[in-house]
Amino acid sequence: MNKSVTGKGHNVTPLQDSSRRSERSKDQWSQLLEQVGASQDRGAFHQLFEHFGPQIKYYAISNGIANQAEELVQEVMISIWRRASTYDWRKAAASTWIFTIARNQRIDMLRKIQRGSAEMAIETEDLWQIPGDDEKDPVPSLHRIIAERRIRDSFQHLPEEQVAVLAKVYLEHKSHQEVAQEMDIPLGTVKSRVRLALGKLKVILQDQDL
Amino acid sequence: MSVHHPDEMLLTEYSAGTLTEPMALCIRMHLERCAHCRSQLDMLNSLGAIMLDHSHHASKVSDDLFDSILTRLDDPEQPPDNEQQATETDNRSPLEKMLGTDLQSLPWKRQLADVSVCDLSDYFPGDERVTLQKLCAGGRAPSHTHGGKEATLVLTGAFADGNGVFSKGDFVILDEHHDHQPVALHGEDCITLSVLDAPVRLTGRLTRLLNPFIR
Ligand SMILES: [Zn+2]
Repeated sequence: MNKSVTGKGHNVTPLQDSSRRSERSKDQWSQLLEQVGASQDRGAFHQLFEHFGPQIKYYAISNGIANQAEELVQEVMISIWRRASTYDWRKAAASTWIFTIARNQRIDMLRKIQRGSAEMAIETEDLWQIPGDDEKDPVPSLHRIIAERRIRDSFQHLPEEQVAVLAKVYLEHKSHQEVAQEMDIPLGTVKSRVRLALGKLKVILQDQDL
Repeated sequence: MSVHHPDEMLLTEYSAGTLTEPMALCIRMHLERCAHCRSQLDMLNSLGAIMLDHSHHASKVSDDLFDSILTRLDDPEQPPDNEQQATETDNRSPLEKMLGTDLQSLPWKRQLADVSVCDLSDYFPGDERVTLQKLCAGGRAPSHTHGGKEATLVLTGAFADGNGVFSKGDFVILDEHHDHQPVALHGEDCITLSVLDAPVRLTGRLTRLLNPFIR
């Protein structure tokens, strides 16, 4: 089961299936987030803010909600503070967890603008889950950490044209159809660039894993 | 375990948060039953975090922003977030929560001997047609094709057509190339959640070109 990390350019210490080992491979943001969750550590919270605040602000601006950019930062940070005690580093890296919170808060904000005072029939979090909220699925932590490192390492070797398409999808809230129109390339090209990128990142699992 | 999955394009758009609400609901309901897609999604969410980090254009925030956040945390008027506990005790699916009732008690409208429909479009803001469709156990729908793209998620029972057997949790996109005559398997009514693309969907440049003529 435990596939070893090979591939060139890796400088990864082999991970062994012991909790002590995996404890050590926890990244700094996940540690800070745990400190916030365990003891309402404001120093740790401030470090998270310093790192993620500007990212979230940029995310809001590229999503076309520049006027609410700092409001989004506030909402995301407050949500992080309140939910930190539910964060489980085995389920997701802190950066991934924070990405999903930022995504949901952005969706929530847009839904509220769109709907005005009308009540929403379904909560944003019932449509888009935050990782770790569902106990059904105890993701093996080591497998997740290895996969995440692999994605991070291979991301640096992606051709710029593939990164550009992914950036439009992830940061500008564009459907593949809209990306095609905006970049003036056929929809098929957009899809093949995304597919190629996901393949290189090994985000797409092999058929035998089905 | 599901056999029919949404493709990686849909999962990517779900992870990025660009899908419409009804489409997100279909994917979410599939994820409930599919460990394979859940682990794909984990990786796509990691990619989202990398994209966020990759944007070297991180924007400088106002000097007093952190203080404003702390002020809000200290504000006794703002009750702590209890949503977490609420969701933990609620085992209903997102669809059941939205409907507030079980599927059988809905106001079904019988359309054909074996086919009933319940329209959910009003729950959502867009122009997609969102319906629950029920084919009674062992029942047969007339042969038909699909005008637009219809995302279909099987909620209960199973149906079979020339393309295979689709059972609980399966996700499939039916379109104009999909000429089919579904038959529900015996034993249980087959209920599906269907999201049909708006018949005329204008986006981007076309909108600007065409709208003056149709408005
Ligand atoms: Zn699946």
